[in-house]
Amino acid sequence: MANVLVRVNSAPKQQLAASLLPLFKNIQIRSNSAQVSTPPPQTKTKFGGLADQDRVFTNLYGRHDWRLKGAMKRGDWYKTKEILEKGVDWILNEIKASGLRGRGGAGFPSGMKWSFMNKPSDGRPKYLVVNADEGEPGTCKDREIMRHDPHKLIEGCLIAGRAMGARAAYIYIRGEFYNEASNMQLAIAEAYQAGLLGKNACNSGYDFDVFMHRGAGAYICGEETALIESLEGKQGKPRLKPPFPADVGVFGCPTTVANVETVAVAPTICRRGGVWFASFGRTRNSGTKLFNISGHVNNPCTVEEEMSIPLKELIERHCGGVRGGWDNLLGIIPGGSSTPIIPKDVCAEALMDFDGLVACQTSLGTAAIIVMDKSTDVIKAIARLIAFYKHESCGQCTPCREGVSWMNKIMTRFVSGNARPDEIDMLWEVSKQIEGHSICALGDGAAWPVQGLIRHFRPVIEQRMQDFEKRQEATN
Amino acid sequence: MLRAPMFRALVLAQLPSRAGILFTTSRMQSNAPAKAPEKIEVFIDDQPVMVAPGTTVLQAAAQVGVEIPRFCYHERLAVAGNCRMCLVEVEKSPKPVAACAMPVMKGWRIKTNSDMTRKAREGVMEFLLSNHPLDCPICDQGGECDLQDQAMAFGSDRSRFTDINHAGKRAVEDKDIGPLVKTIMTRCIHCTRCIRFASEVAGVDDLGTTGRGNEMQVGMYVEKLFLTELSGNVIDLCPVGALTNKPYSFVARPWEIRKVDSIDVLDALGSNIVVSTRTGEVLRILPRENEDINEEWLSDKSRFACDGLKRQRLITPMLRKPDGEFEAVEWESALITAAQAIRNAPKDKIAAVAGSLVDAEQLVAVKDLLNRLGSELLCTEQKFPTADGTSGTDLRSNYLLNSSIASCEDADLVLLVGTNPRYEAPLLNTRLRKGYVHKEQDIAYIGPEVDLSYRYEYLGNRSLTIEDIAKGKHPFAQRLKQAKRPLIIVGANALARNDGKAYIAALQSFARQLKPEDKNWKVWNVLQTNASQVAALDVGYKPGVEEVLAAQPKVLFLLGADGNAVNKENIPKDCFVIYQGHHGDQGAQLAHAILPGAAYTEKQGTYVNTEGRAQQTLVAVSPPGMAREDWKIIRALSEVVGTVLPYDTLDELRNRMEDIAPHLVRYGHLEENNFYAQAEQLIKTQASSFQGDVDVNQKSLEDFFMTDSITRASPTMAKCVAAVKKAQATG
Amino acid sequence: MARYFGIDKIGKLFSYIQQNGGIRNTLWKMYRMDEGKAGTLIGTDKYGNKYYEDPTQFYGRNRWVEYVEHRNLEYDGSQIPAEWFGWMHYKTDLPPHRDGNRKHYKWMADHSENLSGTTDSYMPYSTTRPKVEAWDPKKSTAQ
Repeated sequence: MANVLVRVNSAPKQQLAASLLPLFKNIQIRSNSAQVSTPPPQTKTKFGGLADQDRVFTNLYGRHDWRLKGAMKRGDWYKTKEILEKGVDWILNEIKASGLRGRGGAGFPSGMKWSFMNKPSDGRPKYLVVNADEGEPGTCKDREIMRHDPHKLIEGCLIAGRAMGARAAYIYIRGEFYNEASNMQLAIAEAYQAGLLGKNACNSGYDFDVFMHRGAGAYICGEETALIESLEGKQGKPRLKPPFPADVGVFGCPTTVANVETVAVAPTICRRGGVWFASFGRTRNSGTKLFNISGHVNNPCTVEEEMSIPLKELIERHCGGVRGGWDNLLGIIPGGSSTPIIPKDVCAEALMDFDGLVACQTSLGTAAIIVMDKSTDVIKAIARLIAFYKHESCGQCTPCREGVSWMNKIMTRFVSGNARPDEIDMLWEVSKQIEGHSICALGDGAAWPVQGLIRHFRPVIEQRMQDFEKRQEATN
Repeated sequence: MLRAPMFRALVLAQLPSRAGILFTTSRMQSNAPAKAPEKIEVFIDDQPVMVAPGTTVLQAAAQVGVEIPRFCYHERLAVAGNCRMCLVEVEKSPKPVAACAMPVMKGWRIKTNSDMTRKAREGVMEFLLSNHPLDCPICDQGGECDLQDQAMAFGSDRSRFTDINHAGKRAVEDKDIGPLVKTIMTRCIHCTRCIRFASEVAGVDDLGTTGRGNEMQVGMYVEKLFLTELSGNVIDLCPVGALTNKPYSFVARPWEIRKVDSIDVLDALGSNIVVSTRTGEVLRILPRENEDINEEWLSDKSRFACDGLKRQRLITPMLRKPDGEFEAVEWESALITAAQAIRNAPKDKIAAVAGSLVDAEQLVAVKDLLNRLGSELLCTEQKFPTADGTSGTDLRSNYLLNSSIASCEDADLVLLVGTNPRYEAPLLNTRLRKGYVHKEQDIAYIGPEVDLSYRYEYLGNRSLTIEDIAKGKHPFAQRLKQAKRPLIIVGANALARNDGKAYIAALQSFARQLKPEDKNWKVWNVLQTNASQVAALDVGYKPGVEEVLAAQPKVLFLLGADGNAVNKENIPKDCFVIYQGHHGDQGAQLAHAILPGAAYTEKQGTYVNTEGRAQQTLVAVSPPGMAREDWKIIRALSEVVGTVLPYDTLDELRNRMEDIAPHLVRYGHLEENNFYAQAEQLIKTQASSFQGDVDVNQKSLEDFFMTDSITRASPTMAKCVAAVKKAQATG
Repeated sequence: MARYFGIDKIGKLFSYIQQNGGIRNTLWKMYRMDEGKAGTLIGTDKYGNKYYEDPTQFYGRNRWVEYVEHRNLEYDGSQIPAEWFGWMHYKTDLPPHRDGNRKHYKWMADHSENLSGTTDSYMPYSTTRPKVEAWDPKKSTAQ
């Protein structure tokens, strides 16, 4: 367990790397993970069944007023000034103590990431950029926050911004999220009018601005450097790293890009204490998390649950089980479209946290669970995902541009079975040739679903090819 | 960090409001590495090498002679890191790293030939080829194609692209980007070198990518032409056959051609070139690397005007018959006729006018001949201010680009007066742009408003401004005084005006007043426009034709003088005109006898460029027909005239040149100039006043292409002019 | 015995001289053709060339042509018309006038001799453009 983080930090064997990706969190390869204090030993053994009083997002379903008044009733903006006045170190310590890991997919410890920004200033302003470009198929957690609890995010921006000494926060919101964007904008306006943002935000003597920027609907803009490029008004194409955004980010200034959920839980952690947050889930995977369950379940939903909840329990408890019963399950994509699929027998044992899924050769990603029952044509499903990645590849670097479209061609043929069995191995190799060779992680994210398919469903593909051959012979 | 310089190049032009922020960042970026010069040790294939911090893996490998394959990386362009061909294994890193972009860290062990590295390269190569057409047999890049070479060296030995039978390969519509660059966009591998060249070096942000993923296309966004004076360089940069030389298309294969190193003479920079020939025909011209002059770029005129060498040529001696028609004759009768005219003329009534493409050998031979005959009437076509009685051209520092072409990029404040370097010397302009983009250079400009491809401070076109600056009244004068490395560049055409004296008097003495940080920094610079001008002034030709024509010569040598300085109106009526040159252009029309000479690709000639550097052209092809090397013609004529010149070989002639001016034969060497104070004194004695506004000859791209007899004869240049005019009319 | 001393050769020489019509004609023939031998006249072609055979000569030298007189020394193999070519080269033993199977078609071209090396020989002209285009003063003054 302890070495997992080190392995994640020093970047990945392929499945480990899967955890680093889906919404393209930054993969900062740094060796100072030793700074994180050793976690308390694991005592809790049963996870799940989050109590209502422990929920962070209390208006997840929009049953209450999302505006400032309603938000304040639910406890947002409560003593924000005091939190700010406790200072940078206190906030960072609480975040570190909470064990919060980035919720965008890569799962990088947030406390550490934010503390990278506290290097001595060289005169350049610093910025917080909130990655609200939630484009990963299957994922729908950030939009719920932004349309039903926007003030959580705004307050989070202020606190996270304070923690890293940022001058302003840019919320880069996905272009398709029209209602979310207008709610966000209204909430920001409310916060300015109430004096919570702007000059002397919350009377704390700290100046902080929040700007919202709407994207134009490119999945790649969820990658942090592509997001920065897009924010600067250029084509959303990932930058080379290094330099990392913490050195040269938006407009050439130090920048931290954080996921909406990560930022939005920060105020609650500060109010209720890092220890409270750390009490959920296994060590190093602590906290609560929004899970989005979609696909062949009786009751698809977005739900906040404790980390490390068993996958089966999560589905049974909140979604009314798999359509047609657990035995009708074919496989589950546990963390958004870019994580590898796991078959039913693995699903039964899987724990929904970073390390638990890495052990299953997949990854938590954004915790967007896509359930497929036996009616699913799994090859077609994966082929559709590859078609998506082919469409969304920015085209900048060779492996992703050429490789993903090649994979798409092969997968299209696999759907009908028009291929030879040895092409399965070729596809595996092609996916390996993409993985780890591209500028950003989109190539990796496109390679993993294919690898998951081949790993667990090879007989299905081969059967499809045999059927095709028989049909061909029959027609000839 | 690596991309930091690009910020200003790419963003600043578009986002002025953010300029301030970026200014400071890039400044900090550039200053940061300078503070820590301590070297770090890394290992390339177990070979230790000490490199400066911030060195990329690729550069470190180059230091120990390990070449890492690359497509997108180019030394003179920003790092893109998108081809992924340069992936190498670094010990303890699970993923291969892009060598072109990754700075080395202390103690890294880089493996450029490990299994992982080879596999990564093979994978990338397979991907590149999976959408690259198999049209090498009909591709103009064949034989000099990076993709071919690297596929041989690093690619797999067999194909497994089974989808060629199913979905096939990508196909992209070709784009019409002008008469010089042919595009076959299906071959593009998206390295973006051309895009980066256009936006960084050429300063024309027209090239870019549209679409995404596999549908990404490199193009001009909209249907327009790639209108820049440097467009040909993208042909060299393109690692595949996507951008090829249009006039050269389907002409020759690289293994058929003979390559001769030479010098370009179509502007005064003396760019180094390689002349490709086959069967006595110049097929194309490529740039040759020379850090001091053209780096590795070449202007379109120099590159594409070579087909002008095959048109309108003088291939046989001609004499004008009494009825005014020309008649082709043998050398003997031409020389005898010319010699008779010379012998019949009074000794001091024989004159010579040197045009813009004359080599120093011919200049010296003609001068020797005329001096021996007793005449001093030798001049160049282009004027240069001279003092009454004395000469402003006695001291070289008056008419040279004293602070060398290369150091122009190091200046921190540049004042351009009456020159449009973008078209008069495109590769000097790229230096200025480089300084502007990467080195915080500021540029001010006096003259009619033109597009210099970078932002400049426009000081208007009033000559009054020059006077104000010279007297220190203008605010810009203060800035020049405070600048650490100021530069004043005056166009030769501005000085060639009748009020050129006023320019030189005002600006040169002002330049003397400036106190640059470095004592050897040279402020006063003249940007010549003619390749022969410096050599002519060096050997003692007088600038400007007026004095010579005023002497009413009876015999007038026109040495490739096609610049219209001598014309039907001002030529003395009873004067016998001998035109010696290689093209039938304006000068030949006036002639009574035509002696066909050799163009710059056909002779071994010395040219001195605007910074005073002597360089020589080499014989790439033999002169066509009966044309001969120019100095030999003069030598033969001297025999017939009876005043035999004392040299029979080129070496003997060059010994004579060395006697006159030793720097003429120190090829490639930049001669240091001195006597600035004296030069100023010489000039100061002459006072003159400005007349009219400051002007430049070449204002827009259409003025750029046809400037001399070679380019006027070139069909490609004519097409360029037509294309630019059409684009301007429609766009 | 006579064969042993070569007397039959002398006899042959005399018969050649006789057939050639005297010493003078024989010498002329030897000057013209480097050979004085005589044989049976097989036929004459339309140009007047005479074709001889002498079976006593060994194979390869037993058929020859004596070119028509007015050619003098200016003769060569291509002056043998196609119909005699076969007989001369032992393709057939039947000379054309005795061979009834020779087909004559309308489209058959008349024989022509090889003119290479003569002033009438075929000279192709260049179809390529000159590499260097010369200045034409008339054209440019007209401009």
